[in-house]
Amino acid sequence: MSIPVYVVTGFLDSGKTTFLNILLNRRDWKDIRILIIQFETGEEVFQSQNGNCHKISFPKKVLEQQPKQIISQINGYLQSHEEELDEIWIEWNGVVPFSELQSMFLDPSLRFLCKIQKTVHIADAANIENLLGRTGGALLEQIANSDFVVLRNVSVAVTYKRIRRLLNGINPGVDIYDIKEYDDLYKQLFRKKENPVNFFFAALVFIVAIHIMVKPILEIFQIPVNTIINVFLGIILQAIPFLLIGVLLSSAIQVFVPQSVIERRFPKSIGIGMLVAILAGFCLPVCDCASIPVFRSLVKKGIPLPVAITFMTASPVINPVVILSTYYAFSGDLNIVIGRVALGIIASFIIGFVFAIRPPKGHVLSGGGLDRLMCSCGCYEDIESITTFKGKVRLFIRHSQAEFFNVGKYLVIGSFVASVFQIFGTGLFTTAQSGAGLALSIIIMMVMSFVLSLCSSSDAIVARSFSMQFPMGAIMGFLVFGPMMDIKNVMMLSSGFSKRFIGKLLYTMFIVCFAVVFILYGLGVM
Amino acid sequence: MQTRVKAFNPQIFLEFLCYSAFAGLMLYLISSGKYLSYVTPRMEPYLYFTAIIMGIWALAVLGRMFRPQHKVRSMHCFVLVIPILLFLLPHGPLSTSDFSDNFIGGNTFANRREQNSNDLSLEDRSPTDTTNLYTQTNVPELPGLDTVNKKITVSNDDFGKWLSEIHMNMEKYEGYTIIMTGFVLKNSEVLEEDEFILAHLIMSCCVADLAPAGLLCKHDDVSDLKNDTWITVEGTFFIGQYEYDGKNYDDPQINVTNITPAEAVEGYVYLY
Repeated sequence: MSIPVYVVTGFLDSGKTTFLNILLNRRDWKDIRILIIQFETGEEVFQSQNGNCHKISFPKKVLEQQPKQIISQINGYLQSHEEELDEIWIEWNGVVPFSELQSMFLDPSLRFLCKIQKTVHIADAANIENLLGRTGGALLEQIANSDFVVLRNVSVAVTYKRIRRLLNGINPGVDIYDIKEYDDLYKQLFRKKENPVNFFFAALVFIVAIHIMVKPILEIFQIPVNTIINVFLGIILQAIPFLLIGVLLSSAIQVFVPQSVIERRFPKSIGIGMLVAILAGFCLPVCDCASIPVFRSLVKKGIPLPVAITFMTASPVINPVVILSTYYAFSGDLNIVIGRVALGIIASFIIGFVFAIRPPKGHVLSGGGLDRLMCSCGCYEDIESITTFKGKVRLFIRHSQAEFFNVGKYLVIGSFVASVFQIFGTGLFTTAQSGAGLALSIIIMMVMSFVLSLCSSSDAIVARSFSMQFPMGAIMGFLVFGPMMDIKNVMMLSSGFSKRFIGKLLYTMFIVCFAVVFILYGLGVM
Repeated sequence: MQTRVKAFNPQIFLEFLCYSAFAGLMLYLISSGKYLSYVTPRMEPYLYFTAIIMGIWALAVLGRMFRPQHKVRSMHCFVLVIPILLFLLPHGPLSTSDFSDNFIGGNTFANRREQNSNDLSLEDRSPTDTTNLYTQTNVPELPGLDTVNKKITVSNDDFGKWLSEIHMNMEKYEGYTIIMTGFVLKNSEVLEEDEFILAHLIMSCCVADLAPAGLLCKHDDVSDLKNDTWITVEGTFFIGQYEYDGKNYDDPQINVTNITPAEAVEGYVYLY
């Protein structure tokens, strides 16, 4: 029987010892025999009041220089006291990565005696944001590996919300407690963890079962499940290669392009920056699935937001593949091709300018200000510190994998919603169209392009199929707005950006695209 | 620094399984040609690309298989697992009968009710798209053409090519006898009493844009032809008219002389 090990992590002065003092000295725990191993000595001293705790301390110096000695010392203690111990609690050092502790306890001499069960991270709400920005990887890594985060000094709800979002960015789905909620924490602390692998296979079986059971039932109600599945798979099969291109490209920017190059080389003026963005958009034959990860990495790398937005909105409309497919779809009608490209460029310029004039308040990236420093892939090595090419390639692969899953889950959800809408929704739009004026028609087509979430390289054909009941202006609204923004793009953006920013972006894009198309077509310019 | 301890990492193992399975699935879809039920042939290189990247990723994670990790996650794998499962679980390709009015392809049909119900037929949409394509790719002589007897026999594989060729060079083929197979598409509100469309399902990008397209046929007795039934039509080719946007356009049509039932044709016609 291996002894359960519980770990408390947190930066210096975050209140780890205080936490242990309160927790382990509870009256109802007085019969539990506990070994406390401290790897840090702070101002506060752990004191056992019920006499049930034994304490060993290791200074940081020993930890750094003679980890073997620590292992054998712990081993020796456990060998001699095995029958007398119920739990081991560890107060880990705030500036040493958690993985080192883990390696020690996975050492063959300890592995079968004790096992790390849960880790609790203690954070001081007053300075955690500040610390994360300055202290490098160890703290991030500790948070990412924790099962619970306990927050101290939470004074205002706003701070709590912000920190919560920050922590969730580092460790998605982690349980966060206020230090006052001790009782809730106790309950959770000793609950058995479901094994994620078992959970995975259970979910797998569940999906298959749902598929087999529910499909016939839905079909009885005349819901064309088969069609939805086909459309869904079609969109996925089409989008995944482009998503891959997108994450590879964006990871390459993240890993291989040093920050300093961008800071030095990229045009300082926003106007010129936007021109460069549009040129770059033209050169990248990617559709909207790819432009969103690239957009995110550009923002992270510190490209001015208006420029990055111009790039994201322009590239799916004006790239060569899209131009060519529009040309084919509209039987070589150059007016439409030129119209689409021109309107796309005008609209993305204006959208960029709107964001230049009225920059969004607060943090744009959902990880708060820190998002620039860390990457979402669980590799906490500082990108700039890895210098060997081999190391960078390895990081590049890890990074792109993490990003693929990160954005991919939104792609799957978005594609599914879009495929359901495709089956049920389009009839609504065409019905609404009858007798509508130009303005309304444009809006209908724009909403439809949003809902259908077609890949920008294929939407021209679909637009063409609506050209019989919608005026040309409305078709143009579809062609210009659709690639910039749709359900699946909103989903993918929410993997990295704050909801408020996405909302503003969506709203601005819609208004600008509508205005541009309406003015040019309504006044008969085109 | 101490030496790295080894311990099995289940998360990496799951990821490895997913990457390998997805790469395998891509290769299977390509080699069996099944991907054509979802996307057009021009996606093939992209699917190879996907398979290669997934393969590289699978190899890349092998090195981390025994790197211990405290917090194991598994749910992210469903990004790949869900598509894999849906591909493997039984589901049929879309057939002609799926094109009722509430489907996007069917919409091109529904539209026309509001329009002047002249013979503004949906087949004028896609084929005209293709015309330009094939002017560039330039197909010199299409199979099935018999200039001596002024006869065209359209095989199912060449349906798309012939459709565009006929639209492009209507004059050249006027008066020819044409034999082609397709399914019947009738819509009383759009077509005249004696008209139907001989169509195939055409895919321009992926199943999401699948739509019927074909040639308009005139026949005295259309009443016993049922929607979605496959037939082979023999008839004379002539240039009719349709109205779009207030203008009249020439439209290739068939004066049907003989109709025989035919086997349903699997698969779709691809634009490019």
